[in-house]
Amino acid sequence: MTNNNSFRQGMQIAFRLGTELTVATFIGAMLGYGVDLFFGIRPWGLAVGVIFGGAAGSLNVYRAAMLMTMEDQNTEEDDNNS
Amino acid sequence: MESPLHHFEVHTIIPIHIGGLDLSINNAVVAMWVGLAIVAGSFMLAVSRGVSPIPGKLQSILEVSLEFIRSMVYEFIGEDEGKKYVPFIASLFLFILACNLIGLIPGSYTITSQLAVTGAFAVGIFILTLVIGFGKHGMHFLGILVPPGIPKVLIPLMVPIEIISMVARPISLAVRLFANMTAGHTVLAVLFGLAMTGPLWLGWLPFGFTIVINGLEIAIAFIQAYIFTTLTCVYIGDVIKLH
Repeated sequence: MTNNNSFRQGMQIAFRLGTELTVATFIGAMLGYGVDLFFGIRPWGLAVGVIFGGAAGSLNVYRAAMLMTMEDQNTEEDDNNS
Repeated sequence: MESPLHHFEVHTIIPIHIGGLDLSINNAVVAMWVGLAIVAGSFMLAVSRGVSPIPGKLQSILEVSLEFIRSMVYEFIGEDEGKKYVPFIASLFLFILACNLIGLIPGSYTITSQLAVTGAFAVGIFILTLVIGFGKHGMHFLGILVPPGIPKVLIPLMVPIEIISMVARPISLAVRLFANMTAGHTVLAVLFGLAMTGPLWLGWLPFGFTIVINGLEIAIAFIQAYIFTTLTCVYIGDVIKLH
């Protein structure tokens, strides 16, 4: 449980970013499908939902990646300070 | 030959039916109790022996893990706000870790390979973040749906995207833990099946891989528990800080 284990960090990034994009797209599609069923406007809800979901997924991935680069910078500064 | 998914099946041990509810004790429930007992028992044992300034083996392990979790919480939530969430995050981390590790013992049951269990954790955390957010900021909490510094024209576009990304969080949290544990254990079962069915001169190869992947699974047990709790901290920190 050391703090700077490159293997652990690499695995963490891989697991996080991979699921983030997939799940958000899936949720967008499902919400769109739900809207379709509710308002009876097939197939527009699904089409728009997938696009919004993909956008949300990209946003999540971007945020996660920004957080990780911030962490990296922090640890680098820590390394420089010590 | 048994199916590689055989060890994910739930068997009822003591059937209990109250009204229309199935509250039977099954192997998953027993595995969860064991995980709970290990976490709670080790802390009780350490305290009942007396907490000494010079820690013994058990006390050192527990102190190091608590220190580790506390620094994680302080990093993502902040020191003043984070203090009251340390017990929650610590129990979450240790329980998931214990369940992951118990699952690696042959013949036991991996609780975290059930989507119902990880889903319950994730939904609980999601509701917790909503409660914290609304409790702390009131109706201003809805401002989390509008990222700072975007032009007003984009607001109708960003709100649905933000809602989807909000809803996706607990689901990706649950699916990540569930999928990793299920995949790892399925790979182990398939390799072990190959080792058992193959002739001896060939069977040692998949058996060797089983041992290697078991080592990897121990690492994954730690990594997944760590990711799950880190993301919980990130989500709680997000709703406290609001951007």
